Amino acid sequence: MEQLKELLFALCTAAGTSGDEVCAAQVVKKALEPYCDVTIDHMGNVIAFMGDKQAQRQVMLDAHLDQIGMIVTQIDEDGFLHVASCGGVDRRVLPGASVTVYGKKQLTGIVCCLPPHLVEDDGSTIEPIDKMAIDIGMDKNEAEQMVALGDRIIVNGAPRALLQHRIASAAMDDRAGCAAVIRCVQLLSDKRLTCGLTLLFSSREETGSQGAKTGAFRIFPTEAIAIDVTFADQPGVPAHKCGNLGKGPMIGTSPVLDREMKDRLLHIAKDEELPYQIEVMGGATGTNADVISTTQTGVRTALISIPLRYMHTPVEVIDLEDIEHTARLMASYIHHR
Amino acid sequence: MANIQLLQQLCERQGISGNEEAVRDFIVTQVTPYADRITIDAMGNVIAEKKGANRAKTKLMLNAHMDEVGLIVTHIDSDGYLKFATVGGIDKRVLCGRSVTVGNGVPGVIGVKPIHLLKGDEKGKAVPIHDMYVDIGAANREEAERTVHLGDPVCLDSVFHVQNGMIRGRALDDRVGCAILIDMLQSDLLYDMTFVFCVQEEVGTRGSRTAAYRVQPQAALVVETTTAADIAGVPKEKHVCRLGKGAVISFMDKGTIYDRDYYTLALQTAKELQLPCQVKQAVAGGNDAGAIHVTRGGVRTVAVSLACRYLHAAMGQIALDDFHSAEKLIMKLAEQIAGSQSG
Repeated sequence: MEQLKELLFALCTAAGTSGDEVCAAQVVKKALEPYCDVTIDHMGNVIAFMGDKQAQRQVMLDAHLDQIGMIVTQIDEDGFLHVASCGGVDRRVLPGASVTVYGKKQLTGIVCCLPPHLVEDDGSTIEPIDKMAIDIGMDKNEAEQMVALGDRIIVNGAPRALLQHRIASAAMDDRAGCAAVIRCVQLLSDKRLTCGLTLLFSSREETGSQGAKTGAFRIFPTEAIAIDVTFADQPGVPAHKCGNLGKGPMIGTSPVLDREMKDRLLHIAKDEELPYQIEVMGGATGTNADVISTTQTGVRTALISIPLRYMHTPVEVIDLEDIEHTARLMASYIHHR
Repeated sequence: MANIQLLQQLCERQGISGNEEAVRDFIVTQVTPYADRITIDAMGNVIAEKKGANRAKTKLMLNAHMDEVGLIVTHIDSDGYLKFATVGGIDKRVLCGRSVTVGNGVPGVIGVKPIHLLKGDEKGKAVPIHDMYVDIGAANREEAERTVHLGDPVCLDSVFHVQNGMIRGRALDDRVGCAILIDMLQSDLLYDMTFVFCVQEEVGTRGSRTAAYRVQPQAALVVETTTAADIAGVPKEKHVCRLGKGAVISFMDKGTIYDRDYYTLALQTAKELQLPCQVKQAVAGGNDAGAIHVTRGGVRTVAVSLACRYLHAAMGQIALDDFHSAEKLIMKLAEQIAGSQSG
């Protein structure tokens, strides 16, 4: 568990907004290199292979590398940065937040927030992101030396351990999934695989799954499992819309997912006494599974989701045991079939 | 030169109103070798008297407050979530998504409902404080109760740092004032002066009330931070004051009409020393001066503040140049006041 925690901390500490996943990709690459050959394609996907290339059964595991963030659209006359969101940023967490600007150097910025005496309504309105600005404490000239339009910005949320086995961080969506896939590789590393196993750490999920779409095309496996995060129980979220933190991976059930794979995952979880939960969706899953399944002539696809609280905030919370159980479930599915 | 390491040490200690011990202990350690007498009163204020080369013609008290705004745990629910109230004026919009520290170093987070599950205009609405909670990862109430207690302070986390001449950190309001006063106590003074480091400013200038009563000064110099609104989207006439333009002198705020002669003296002193200086261009906010100037038969009071952006958020920002020039101005102004007869 301690090792898994270290891996997750390293993954969450690396920056990787959609389309700019280089740092996160390097952490994944380093973690996988003892076990397999790793390449990074021109979309920014990290692709690794282990097992039998000639086997008829070719499995692909997918977790997305990228995290939500912001992108610099303008530097104004006073040196403030104006931004657009890169993925589904929740503007309610932005006022007064400390951020990192990935310019020529890493800079710390603060999202401007009006002092209370200048707030004209009752203080209950959060401005849209295009009305917000980032203060990097520089005038226009200084800012232009350090920051270019298109540079990325991430709200700071360094990983911290809470009680139980719970960890809070920005980027947990979907570095928790990346950690589960890497942990699965570790579990399989001393096994003789009778299938081929390709690992796809895909770019750009948060901006429309472009990484998974092209990565799955290139790999074109016979079956795929997408590993992402899903809503966990928290105040204000009705029980029927979420899973429970720490109660195990959620096995996806949906018209767009492969029923036989799902049944097999359920069977293995019961058989091996791994905790699990069922997540039912009426159609598209909102994950990479949606695009992987329709790749080329179609790929049988399952979805496993790790319960997560406070999605798309800098304090996303997961339970480390859910990651471990997700890894064990996948490892058994791949090995025992 | 003002002491940036000292400021960092002050900002890294937590001292939400009513829980100022860590800040107080640090200050007492810093000033004990230099003060002639230190008193800690019943409220928890630190009162340090220091002799100068000469007896003061006017008894001057310098003031800064030790406390900072924050949150306080009011309830632990059955699932182990902590409900809280605000301590001092915290804007609810800066709380969502923040990392916090509860009580004696317990990490927690203030989460919100995922954006994916919001309906209609919820996306642009601030979450009311009564709907917020702190998650420390506890499985249930019992586990939470073993770790934290009702009444524990909750502090917003941030990392103190200096970037491109800007000082960023939590609780700059008013550790920057504490840093300047400590620096003065650690140097040789021309006249006798009394320095008070007060508690509970953020919950109604309560500490300074008893400190000023005890000290019984003829004059008071309040060293504070004040809101700078020189940020994107705010028209110039609403900036109030600006970072990098020197110390801010107030003529009036919501708590005090300042002594006219001292106000003029402050501006004139800055001019003589060729230090940048600006006038606070709004009647807004308030500070310990509000309590001090009406103590006993009245105290002639002046406030010199540092312009600070994002005053009551997780991370404020002041200009390093202002920190240095304000300290010079405050030292000289204190001498001028203490060295001349009060009217």
